[in-house]
Amino acid sequence: MTAWENRRIRTLVFIPAWNEAESVASVIHGVRERLPDVDVLAVDDGSTDETAARAAEAGAAVASLPFNQGLGAALQTGYLYALREGYDFCAHLDADGQHPPAEVAHLLEQVRADRADLVIGSRFHEDGAKAGNEEIDGEDYRATISRRIGISVFRFFLTLATRQRFTDTTSGMRAANRRVMELFSENYSPDFAEIESLQLAVREGLRVEEVPVRMLERAGGSSFLTPLRSAFFIFKGLIVLLVGQFRPRNVGASR
Amino acid sequence: MSVLLLAAAEQPKVHLTSQTRILAAVIAVAFMLMILELIRRDRLQERFSVVWFVAGIGMLAGAIFPGLLGTVADLMGVRDTNVALFSIILLLLLGLALNFSVIMSRQAAQITRLAQERALEGAREQAQSAENGGEPERKRLEG
Repeated sequence: MTAWENRRIRTLVFIPAWNEAESVASVIHGVRERLPDVDVLAVDDGSTDETAARAAEAGAAVASLPFNQGLGAALQTGYLYALREGYDFCAHLDADGQHPPAEVAHLLEQVRADRADLVIGSRFHEDGAKAGNEEIDGEDYRATISRRIGISVFRFFLTLATRQRFTDTTSGMRAANRRVMELFSENYSPDFAEIESLQLAVREGLRVEEVPVRMLERAGGSSFLTPLRSAFFIFKGLIVLLVGQFRPRNVGASR
Repeated sequence: MSVLLLAAAEQPKVHLTSQTRILAAVIAVAFMLMILELIRRDRLQERFSVVWFVAGIGMLAGAIFPGLLGTVADLMGVRDTNVALFSIILLLLLGLALNFSVIMSRQAAQITRLAQERALEGAREQAQSAENGGEPERKRLEG
């Protein structure tokens, strides 16, 4: 629209939200406060509560999926929006308040400086302790045991599959440039978004980097993972990783 | 004793009574009529009906020519025609179920994309109406 006249770098921060009416507005306010020059999009994944209305009140654009499609599809919607609307960079964070906007800004700096195509915010990076950011106050994120087991299993296999070390495979805080938008808007598994997308990006020759971030305890609600679900989650993830290794390479991202 | 065993092995491989053959033929014809009726009422699309017609015709052929099953069993190297029959049916059903999973996966992907397109359109409309001060603009064709 107006961007073509006075071309400036445009950045989108999108927030996938499913029934997060309580926290979505404060997350949007946080992002707008910390990153005043970015546009904010809330991807409402078929919420049955007031999520979409709260997000719009908070000043975000809202893309509402007509029914719940899962995190992968919601994230893909964000990438698709960023690609179609001509954004140069995009980032996403969770709607539950676990991800401090200051850290998102930090990730965006990395892709803007072209240090990587895709930057992942990692909770478990070795340098995490050093990264103590005074701006952020709140209780530090601590994973439950079943979650930690799952994370280390995925970490092992993803490292095996990509030959690149990842510490936080399920992080939902990322920043990306247009090459990643092109890839993810077409190829993004609705089932296993976080892990498969990393594998895919590395396979397509994109530069994926992890950056240590601090994450907070979630503001409300609890994790959906029970031990049985965790086991199923891990099993499904391993199949996805295995199949991903034999997937034909895509040429879309090499442009 | 050995004569008896030999006699058992020499027995004809297929022994369908005319009663079971008539029953099988009736079921096969009824089955195909049901398929036709489903198509007529738009409950079943033609492209999905082909495989069911093939199954019905196979059933009918088996009823009319009882020797057919024996021949197929011989070709498979199976001594018991019942085993041959059941394994054919099992494989057929397995293939069909897999086929349906493939179709369902494709449709799930299509539905997801459709939902995403709708969501993006909604976001665009919202952005435009905000630009125009609440006045929703007529739909603009893009991309």
